[in-house]
Amino acid sequence: MTDPKRALAAGLVLTLSLSACMGGTGDSGKDAAAGYDPNATVELTWWTGQTEVAEATAEKLAAEYHALHPNVTIKTSPGASVADELLTKLSAGFAGGTYPDISYAFGSWAGDLAASGKAQDLTEFVNTPEFKWTEIPEAARQTATVDGKVVAVPALVDNLALIYNKELFDKAGLAYPTDQWSWDDFRNAAKKLTDPATNTYGTAYSVSGSEDTTWHLWPLLWQQGGKILDGNTPAFASPQGVAALETLRVMAVDDKSMYLDQTDEKYLPLFNSGRVGMVISGPWALLELKEAGIAYDVTALPGFNGDHQTVSGPDLWVLLDHQDPNRAGAARDFIAWMTSAETDAKWNLALGNLPLRSTEAHSPEFAAYTKEWPGSQKFFDNLANAKQARPTVSGYAQLSRNVGDAIAKVLQGAATSQEALDEAAKKSAGLVG
Amino acid sequence: MRVKLPFSPWHLLLMPLALLFVLPLVQMVATSFMTSAEINHFPPKLIPTALHLEGYRALLSETPVLTWLGNTVLVSTISVLGHLILCSTAGYGFARLKFAGSGLAFLAVVATVMIPMQLLMIPTYLMFARIGIVDTLAAAFVPWLASAFGIFLMRQFFLSLPGELEEAARLDGAGTWRTFVSVVLPLARPALATLTVFTLLSSWNDLLWPLVAISDDHRFTLQVGLASFQGTRRTEWSQLMAGNVIATVPLILAFLFAQKRFVATMAFTGLKG
Amino acid sequence: MALTFAVSPRAASKARRPGPRGSALRRHLTGWAFAGPATLLVVGLSLFPAGWAFVISQAKWNGIAPATMVGWRNYEQLAQDPDMLAASGHTLLLTVLFVPSSIVLGILLAVALNQRIRLIGFYRTCIFVPYVASAAATGILAGFVFNPQFGAVNEVFRHLGIPAQQFLESPSQALYIVCLIALWGQVGFTTVVYLAALQDIPRELVEAATVDGAGKFRVFRHVTLPELRPVTVFTAVWQTITAMQLFDLIYTTTRGGPLNSTQTIVYYIYELAFQTQRLGYGAAAAYVLFAVTLLLTLVVIWYSRRRGAEVF
Repeated sequence: MTDPKRALAAGLVLTLSLSACMGGTGDSGKDAAAGYDPNATVELTWWTGQTEVAEATAEKLAAEYHALHPNVTIKTSPGASVADELLTKLSAGFAGGTYPDISYAFGSWAGDLAASGKAQDLTEFVNTPEFKWTEIPEAARQTATVDGKVVAVPALVDNLALIYNKELFDKAGLAYPTDQWSWDDFRNAAKKLTDPATNTYGTAYSVSGSEDTTWHLWPLLWQQGGKILDGNTPAFASPQGVAALETLRVMAVDDKSMYLDQTDEKYLPLFNSGRVGMVISGPWALLELKEAGIAYDVTALPGFNGDHQTVSGPDLWVLLDHQDPNRAGAARDFIAWMTSAETDAKWNLALGNLPLRSTEAHSPEFAAYTKEWPGSQKFFDNLANAKQARPTVSGYAQLSRNVGDAIAKVLQGAATSQEALDEAAKKSAGLVG
Repeated sequence: MRVKLPFSPWHLLLMPLALLFVLPLVQMVATSFMTSAEINHFPPKLIPTALHLEGYRALLSETPVLTWLGNTVLVSTISVLGHLILCSTAGYGFARLKFAGSGLAFLAVVATVMIPMQLLMIPTYLMFARIGIVDTLAAAFVPWLASAFGIFLMRQFFLSLPGELEEAARLDGAGTWRTFVSVVLPLARPALATLTVFTLLSSWNDLLWPLVAISDDHRFTLQVGLASFQGTRRTEWSQLMAGNVIATVPLILAFLFAQKRFVATMAFTGLKG
Repeated sequence: MALTFAVSPRAASKARRPGPRGSALRRHLTGWAFAGPATLLVVGLSLFPAGWAFVISQAKWNGIAPATMVGWRNYEQLAQDPDMLAASGHTLLLTVLFVPSSIVLGILLAVALNQRIRLIGFYRTCIFVPYVASAAATGILAGFVFNPQFGAVNEVFRHLGIPAQQFLESPSQALYIVCLIALWGQVGFTTVVYLAALQDIPRELVEAATVDGAGKFRVFRHVTLPELRPVTVFTAVWQTITAMQLFDLIYTTTRGGPLNSTQTIVYYIYELAFQTQRLGYGAAAAYVLFAVTLLLTLVVIWYSRRRGAEVF
C-alpha cells in the first residue's frame, strides 16, 4: 500500500530533523552582555533552588533589588521541588526554549552546563576589581571554572568536618578529637565508642553509592597525595586511593565500628539520637543538631601525615544567555549585588550557611551567626583546608556513581579496595571530558 | 484412619493465606494511627492504643498531600473520560466501519503494546518539553487519554454484539453517529465499566511516568508525592503510612463497592489481552 | 462471579448492504472520524517517540550539551558493560522466580477459591485486594513490614526462634524479598484469570471423568490442567512483561540497592537517563530491553502455536 521508497525517504527526513532537535547552540565567542544598557527595562527569571524560608528570603532580596533598580523585575521561583531536580528541569527548558536567566546549580554540573553553550562566559566580568573575585574561597572559584573559563558564580560554600558527640566520648572516658587527629586516632576512638549492647557505633558512612558516598572519600585521597583525574584519565585507583579506602574498610569490616547507611538519610538522624559517636558532615547538619539538642562539637578532619585538607561542595549561580545583552548584563549586575559581602550577610549568613566571602568574617552578622550556630566558626575556619575541588568535567556524575559503587562494595566486604577501585576506573575511562 | 474435620479442609489453606494477604494492609492502617513511640516500641504492637492523628496532621502540614490527592483525582477522571470517549469510538470504528486503511491502522495500534514505556520515556519527555507541558498535569494525563488496550477491548466487545439492532436503526434512517450513541453505547455498558476500572487502576497507580514528567511538588500525583516524601522521610512511619492510606483507600473502597466489576476487568485482561 | 461478556466473541454481523456509490468517501471519512483520534494519539505517542529514541540511542548526549552521533558505539559499550550484565542477571532471576511462582500460586488459589464453602467471598476479597494497591504504596508498606529493626516479619521470626534478618538491606536477600512483595501484589491477578478460566471449563467434562472413576487429583491433572493451557500461555507472557518492567516497587523499596543487587534493566535505564543524564546510552539500553521482550514474546507465541494452543 505504501511505497517503501517514499516511506524510507520520509523516515530519513524525520531522523535528520530529530537529530537537529538534539543540538545545543554553539559558542559564538561573543560576550553575551556586549552593548548592555543598564537603564533598559528587563524582566529576569530566577530559579533559586530553595524552599520555604530560603525561598521567601530570596523573594525579599529580589524585591529589594527591584527597589534599587526599578527597571529590572525579577521573577523568582524555586524552579524545582528539590535542587537535585534543577538539572533535569534545565535540560527540559533548553529543549523547550524556556530556561531562566539565572539558576541555582550544583558544582558537579558545571562541566555539563559549560558544554551546553548556554552559560554566559563570566571570566572577564568576575575579574573586574569591583567584583573582588578572590574573596571567594579558592575551591569554590575552581568549581565555577571549566577549562579556564568562569561559567558561574559560587552561591554557597561548605566543607566536610568532624562532628562528635561529647556525651558519648565522656561516657567512654575518651579525650575529645582535636584538629591534629590522625586517622589512626579516629579509628581507635571509633572502636572504643562502639558498643553492640546499646547499638552504638563509633562512626557512620553512607553506602548508597551516591555522590554522598563518593565525596567523603576524596579528602582521604587528597591527604594521601592522590588525584581523582590525571587529565581525562581516572587516577583514583592509585596506591594512595587504595590506602584511603583501606582506612575506611578496616573500620567497617574489621572493627565493625562504622554504621553503614544504605540511604543517605539515616546516618545524621542516628547521630542526632546519640547512637553514633562521630560523623563527617557539613554545616547543613547544624540545623538538625540544634533541634536535637545534643552536646556536640566540631573539629577539622583527621589527617594523614599532618595533612588535614577537606573537600568543599560549592553550589553555583549559573547565568544563562538569551541572546539579549540587556538581560545578560542585568543578570550579571544582580548576581554581583547578590553575592556582595553586604547582601550575602542577609542571605547565606541569615540562613545558617557559611559566608561566601572572607571579608564577611568581620561583620556583626557573622558574630551573630557563630553565636546562633555552635560549631559554625570551625566550619568557617575549615574553609582554609579546602584546597582542591572536585573535577568540573562533563561525565563526573557517572564517575562518581562508579566510585560510589566501589566504596559501597568494599565497606560491605564484597571486594578488596584495589579490585573495586580498578573496576571503577575501568568503567569510568572514556566517560570524562 | 481418616479424621473428619467439622469444616472443609480448604479452610486450612485459605484462612492463613487470606490473612497473609490482608494483614499487611491492616497493619498499614493501624500504623497510620500510631505515635512514633508506639511504632518504635519493642516488641512491636499491631493495634494502636488510641486513634492518634499525629501522622495525618504532620503529613498535612508538611506536604501538600490534599493537592496531590486532587491532582490524582483530576488526572484519573480525565483519563477515564478520555478512554471512554476515544476508545469506544475507535473500537466501534475498527469493529464496524469498513474504511480505507483500517486494517493497517489497527495493526499499528496493536503493535504499540510491545513497546516498553522505558523506551518512550526520554523522547516523550523531550516532546512534552518542546510543547511546554512538562511539569503540568497535562503531562500526566495526555498519555492516558487513550490506550491500545482500551481500543482493543472495545473493538472485541463491539465485534461480539449482534448487528441486527444497528441494522434496524439504520433502516429507520439514523446516521452512524446517532446509531452509535443511542443504540450501541447503551448496550456497551459492561464493556465501558470494564474500561473505566482498567483506566482508573492504571492512571491512579502510575508512578514512573509522572515521576519523570513532573518535578513541581504542587503538581505531583499522589504516587509521586508519596515516593518523594518517602525519599526524605524514611523513618517517619506514621506519616508514611498515613500517606499510604490516603493513596490506597479510595481504590480499595471502590474495589469493595464494585468487586464484581474489578474482577471482571482483571479476568478480561487475562482472557482477552 | 459472572463474567458479563462471553469469552469468545460471537460471530460479527455479516454482510452489510453496500451503500450508494457516492457515499464511499463519506464512509471512509466517518470511519476515520471514529477511529482517527485515538489511533493518532496511541500511535503518535509510541511509534514516533520510538523512532526518536532510536536516533538518540545513536548519540552521546546528556540533554544539555550538543549531542554527538556515535553510531552503534552505545550498543557496543552495552555489550561490555558489567552493570548492564549484572542488571540483566537480576532481571532474569526475578523473571524466572516470579513468573512460575505467580502461575502456580494462581492456579492453586483459583482451585481453592472455586470451592463452594463458607467464607469464600471473604477469602476472595482478601486475596484480590492487594492487586488494587499501587506498587508505590506496596513498596513503602513492605519497607515497614520487612524493616530489620522493628518490622513485623522479624518479630514473627523472633517468636519462631529464627535470627533476625536484614531483608531489603542485605545484598543477598533483597532481590528475593522484592520478588515476594511483587507476588503479594500480583497473585490476585493470575488467580482471577485462572478462576474465570476454571469456571469456563464445561461441567460435563469434569463430571464425565469423575463418573469414569478418576480421583480428584487425576481429574485435575488430566482434565482441568490441559484446559488451562491457553490461559497459561497468556499469563506467562503477561507476567514476564510485568517482571521485566518492574520499576515502581524497586523504586520505593531499595532504589536498586543495596550494592546494586536489585538493579534491574528498567531501573538501570531510569538511572542512566534521569539520574546520570546519559540519554543516548539509556536509549540504547531501552532498545535492548525492547528487543529482548519482543524476542521472548515471539518465542512463547511460537512455542504455544506449535503445541496447538491458539491464543493470539
